[in-house]
Amino acid sequence: MGKYKKDKVLVVGAGIAGIQASLDLAELGADVHLVEETPSIGGRMPQLDKTFPTNDCSICILAPKMSECARHPGITLHTYSSLTSVSGEPGNFLCKITEHAKYVDPEKCVGCRLCEEKCPVKIVDEFDMGLRTRKSIYRYFLQSIPSNYLIDKNHCLYLTKGACRLCEKACSAEAINFEDKDRVVTLNCGAVILASGIDPYDPIVHAQYGYKRFKNVVTSIEFERMLSASGPQRGHVVCPSDGKSPKRVAFIQCVGSRDVENRNDYCSSVCCMYAIKEAIIAKEHIKGLKPTIFFMDIRAFGKDFDRYYERAQSQFGVRFVRSKVAKISELDGGRLRLRFAQENGKTKEENFDMAILSVGLEPRKRMEEFSDRLDIKLDEFGFARTDLFTPLNTTRDGIFVAGAMSGPKDIPESVMSASGAVAECTNFLALKRQERVSKKEFPPERDVIGDRPRIGAFICHCGINIAGVVDVPKVVEFTKNLPNVEYAENLLYACSQDYLNTIKEKIKEHNLNRILVAACTPRTHEPLFRETLREVGLNQYLFEMANIRDQCSWAHMNEPELATEKAKDLVQMGVAKARNLTPLGRLPVDINPKAFVIGGGLSGMKAALAIARAGYEVALIEKESELGGNLRDIYYTLDGSDPQKLLQETIKKVEKNKLITVYTDAKIEDITGYIGNYKTRLSSVSGDRPSKTANRKPTTEIENGIVIVATGAKEYKTEEYLYGKSKRVITQLELEKRLSSVSGGSKTDPTVRMENRPPKTVVMIQCVDSREEGRLYCSRVCCGEAVKNSLKLKEIYPNADIYILYRDIRTYGLTEKYYAQARDDGVVFMRYDLDHKPRVEIIDKENPDSKLKIKTVDPILGRQVVLESDLLVLSVSIDAPQENEDLAKLLKVPLNEDGFFLEAHVKLRPVDFATDGIFVCGLAHGPKYIEESIVQAEAAAARALTILSKKTILAEGTICSVNPDRCTGCGVCVEICAYSAIEINEEKGIAEINEAMCKGCGACSASCRCGAIDLRGFTNEQIFEAVNSVIGYR
Amino acid sequence: MSAPKSTTTGLKKRENAILDLLKKGLERKCFDTVLIPVKVPAGDSYVWVLAQDNSLLDDASPLPPVMPVHGAKAISSVMRRGKGRKRIATVMRPCEISATIELSKLGQVELDNVFLISIDCPGVLPLSDYLENPKKGGDAFEKVFKQWGNGSVRPICQVCHRFSMPTGASDIHIGMLEAGERDIFIISNSPKGEAILKELDISPKKEIGSWKDKVKEITEERKNKRKNLQEELKPGVVGLDRLLDTFSKCINCHNCMRVCPVCYCRQCYFDSDKLKHPYEDYLFRAEMSGGLRFLPDTLLFHLGRMAHMSLSCVSCGSCEDACPLKIPVSQIFGLVADETQKLFDYIPGRKTDEPVPMATYKEEELKEVED
Repeated sequence: MGKYKKDKVLVVGAGIAGIQASLDLAELGADVHLVEETPSIGGRMPQLDKTFPTNDCSICILAPKMSECARHPGITLHTYSSLTSVSGEPGNFLCKITEHAKYVDPEKCVGCRLCEEKCPVKIVDEFDMGLRTRKSIYRYFLQSIPSNYLIDKNHCLYLTKGACRLCEKACSAEAINFEDKDRVVTLNCGAVILASGIDPYDPIVHAQYGYKRFKNVVTSIEFERMLSASGPQRGHVVCPSDGKSPKRVAFIQCVGSRDVENRNDYCSSVCCMYAIKEAIIAKEHIKGLKPTIFFMDIRAFGKDFDRYYERAQSQFGVRFVRSKVAKISELDGGRLRLRFAQENGKTKEENFDMAILSVGLEPRKRMEEFSDRLDIKLDEFGFARTDLFTPLNTTRDGIFVAGAMSGPKDIPESVMSASGAVAECTNFLALKRQERVSKKEFPPERDVIGDRPRIGAFICHCGINIAGVVDVPKVVEFTKNLPNVEYAENLLYACSQDYLNTIKEKIKEHNLNRILVAACTPRTHEPLFRETLREVGLNQYLFEMANIRDQCSWAHMNEPELATEKAKDLVQMGVAKARNLTPLGRLPVDINPKAFVIGGGLSGMKAALAIARAGYEVALIEKESELGGNLRDIYYTLDGSDPQKLLQETIKKVEKNKLITVYTDAKIEDITGYIGNYKTRLSSVSGDRPSKTANRKPTTEIENGIVIVATGAKEYKTEEYLYGKSKRVITQLELEKRLSSVSGGSKTDPTVRMENRPPKTVVMIQCVDSREEGRLYCSRVCCGEAVKNSLKLKEIYPNADIYILYRDIRTYGLTEKYYAQARDDGVVFMRYDLDHKPRVEIIDKENPDSKLKIKTVDPILGRQVVLESDLLVLSVSIDAPQENEDLAKLLKVPLNEDGFFLEAHVKLRPVDFATDGIFVCGLAHGPKYIEESIVQAEAAAARALTILSKKTILAEGTICSVNPDRCTGCGVCVEICAYSAIEINEEKGIAEINEAMCKGCGACSASCRCGAIDLRGFTNEQIFEAVNSVIGYR
Repeated sequence: MSAPKSTTTGLKKRENAILDLLKKGLERKCFDTVLIPVKVPAGDSYVWVLAQDNSLLDDASPLPPVMPVHGAKAISSVMRRGKGRKRIATVMRPCEISATIELSKLGQVELDNVFLISIDCPGVLPLSDYLENPKKGGDAFEKVFKQWGNGSVRPICQVCHRFSMPTGASDIHIGMLEAGERDIFIISNSPKGEAILKELDISPKKEIGSWKDKVKEITEERKNKRKNLQEELKPGVVGLDRLLDTFSKCINCHNCMRVCPVCYCRQCYFDSDKLKHPYEDYLFRAEMSGGLRFLPDTLLFHLGRMAHMSLSCVSCGSCEDACPLKIPVSQIFGLVADETQKLFDYIPGRKTDEPVPMATYKEEELKEVED
């Protein structure tokens, strides 16, 4: 291992996991090749409408990542390509990729869609799930990256029948190339990350639901496309049968999940939440809609999911029916009749306008063939096989797996596994610490300060996108007469290389010092034009963009004259702003290449090891006197892995690693600083590196570049159900400890063996103190823990009766099979309602340790059941420690309502904080299993490495500054800054902005009533000037 | 100043009772100094004085007939650069206390070493009325006190529904309504207030039921009056044209901003160079609308101030009092403030630990202004 290290990495699959892995690797300095089967990067996320539990628009949050990925100098995209083979050994793989012919030259195609209009072929569109048709020459979806067109060779008239070529005639860019051939690319890579994702389950086999027979039965992913504002129906949900708005819709859960007959006897983990989301969004789209969700268990196990579920009921009136739908039949006019068994066993029928099948996630088709080619093994379900404690490793050394390819995953889990796989990769890669991000050399910048503004304005046709509506020559003529405009010209495609060169020539020729491009959106194109300015020695902030496409020609397609007038206004505002632009500098921030990990549990240790593996020093602190955290209390797992072995091995690795310094019994007194430059004061450190002699100091100061929060959580000490009053009431962790000693040979444990007899009856109660007011969240692992312990009990005492009283069994993902196994082994699962919580009594009132009587209402029988029990085991909640509050204050990062650390974005930035340079992992972020903690720890390490791997980073140029003469120090800006970049200087009584932390969002500037804060590049003067120009000149 | 000729009035008796309390506090070192309005030697106005010794308190008036300088402005100029070691006690009207609390949330006054004593307030006389004849003004205020506000107080005072502080942000509240001829109710509103009363050997009166009832009664009455006044005001000021009409006589003296207790900028944006434009710009604007009024941006100034201050506006009426053109500034601000404050369920100065709405973000807010 490590013989040949390369800086090249192959990432297979450009869904969110592949994109994240590529971005992280590229930031680490790797040369990334991203291979994607479809014509665009993006994966499944672009098909989704919103994301739970924040209802963020899916494509809106993904698109910036997609364009970042496409722009990154360290990433090469191979779209419409497939991986054919991987030979060689870790650190020196030889990967062969086939790039399929697109028949359109990507260098020339500008995405003007003229070809598409002319193409006579119509075929079903796979991206929109068959809800509309596309042409044979097409763009995969509206926001595709790359945005070029391609020809579907299986349907193209010319390529199949030898005649047509209409597209070729239509293309003014001469981009069509019918001579195009498949190309084979060979890459020498150090490591491979597989992230080829999942397929949605095809419900056609469920004849009872009538999918494809009944028009109004659709899959959840089809429904997502209907809901999507950029989808084929523009967000208007209608019944496919008659085009009318539905009034009653039914969601049917677990279609193709938890389904033994169809082999998918695992839980797809995401369907409960997406169904709730779709129900809420549909209700927002259609006034008066009544959505019903038919479910078995609602598995809202993620962070803030239960609150979302609760709001769906209380705020949106979504109806939840615990039932498996038996049959759907079609009525006249396409309406549907659903037959279902109620919980009490009685059959009921109800009519609905539409039924949505919540289809599960399946391994990709052809997974077996793919795995054979790559020589990796699959698990029993057909997902990539991993081990519990190495969840990112495939069975082949040097090949890692990210995203749902190794089992159903939600978006944040996919993102975490992607970053985690990156951390694992570093072992096989040769990466150097980078001087600067940019690899490109630019000429020195011209000094324009004091020069009269000489504005160059370039108005783009964007093919017919703009020029088809807006009279571009007229706008150019208008622009020429605006003050300070030295040069104005129209360009066919401003963003194509030829025209970028034109812009550069004109800058030189006319000595231009401010540039305006009126074209599409700065969101996608500003970086490109800025770079063009830099190439001729102009400061990149001397650039301004007017959006005359998205906000003008597209929005006012049917009013060309008015659109032209608006384009003039937009250009005029842009010119006015450009006139006031000033060059901005970017402050370099040095990065101290050392990491600081808070918390010596499994997550903290794993993160520290991952960082040390990449060659950076780590200070690991633990408040207790030994490492290990909660893992010390876990003795076995569902799949038979040995957590204590994992614990001992990990501690040993940490202690042996020369790059890791461990501080135990440590208390943090103070943390100051910012990204790249943190200072921490520790007190009562009683041991330095354990391998050395104890190094006792009252306080220790350490300096680091980044901070990882891995402070963990703890089992809540409940007062419910006689806990602490009877010896027969214990928690799951306590049971686990006792069971481990029993199985270890000692048969005398007094609590498991009551009155020196094996326990006859054991009752477990789930959700103790959880999922109700005050602690409205799910502790995620307790269902699995209860199943695990009940299986263990059955193993030791086969004759014991075990009852699990639950509200929803949430054995999500592949854990579902152990739930099935427990039922097969005779464990009785009995549901209870929050309104009828079980009641526990001591049978012999005189003797508190006598047997217990547990009364519960069985909803199936509809009456009370009394269980006499030797032992009562409580699944208590996992609680965020109180100390989180102090640490959150020191680091200036937020906590959620339940006291867990709140990440920057619950979907796409699951281990980052909004404040750069601080990361979170493990139970500090929220309850999770061992394997999930490992993944998240590796992910936090990878994210940290993207910073540590740079000697310097550059702060943004467009950031805020405080005018000290105007500032009153009122502190409103401090409260408002999401990045904790502002502090009040108590001595001076004014606000001060840390330029390294400011993101330039401008919230402080808007909130400052004294007008003391200006956002550079968007100053009040610049904006007033732009607005005044249109009010004034007309 | 000459000794009082007539018999001590009801108002003066109550004031003396408050002064006795303050003197006792100074003697027992419960606090080191007192910030209080004192009659000027000429006898025609009142100023805030940081009084160190008891003798100065003889001329002090905890409840003067006018409000030339708002108390919050006074205390914040004492404490603007941070707290000292000495403890200050101050007696203020409820709107002054509320504005002080607002300023403390905005970092403009440090309240750690300040004892805030609030007082039932019958309103104040408009400054111009009072100055016509201060002697008569004094008598008029006696009447105001007896009748608990009447037609001669500031218009906004006539509809003030926060004239008392039954619960609130002051440490001690002095109740006067229903307290009997010579008496006052001394009510502790905070632990800090409770501690002081203990040091002063004053046990808070338990029988304050009658005071509470009266406060409630007047509050309800005033709320209705306020609503009525606002309904009368609306047709004249709602809408851009009406607003332009109303402020058209403004002479841009910016007095309203200068006296406003919660206008705390060091330099007003509207006084700054940021709003001074090149001649061409003014020409363009003139061209656009056929003519441009100078000084320019008059309405923008008032709207800007409204946008900035309405959430913290305590309806004290200082702005209107200071307006030489008698524009009903505080009535207009009160109208807007009532609406914006309702939107955030926010009452300025209600609590010290309630952040100003601008400094907080809630996911579910302002739903009513969406779409």
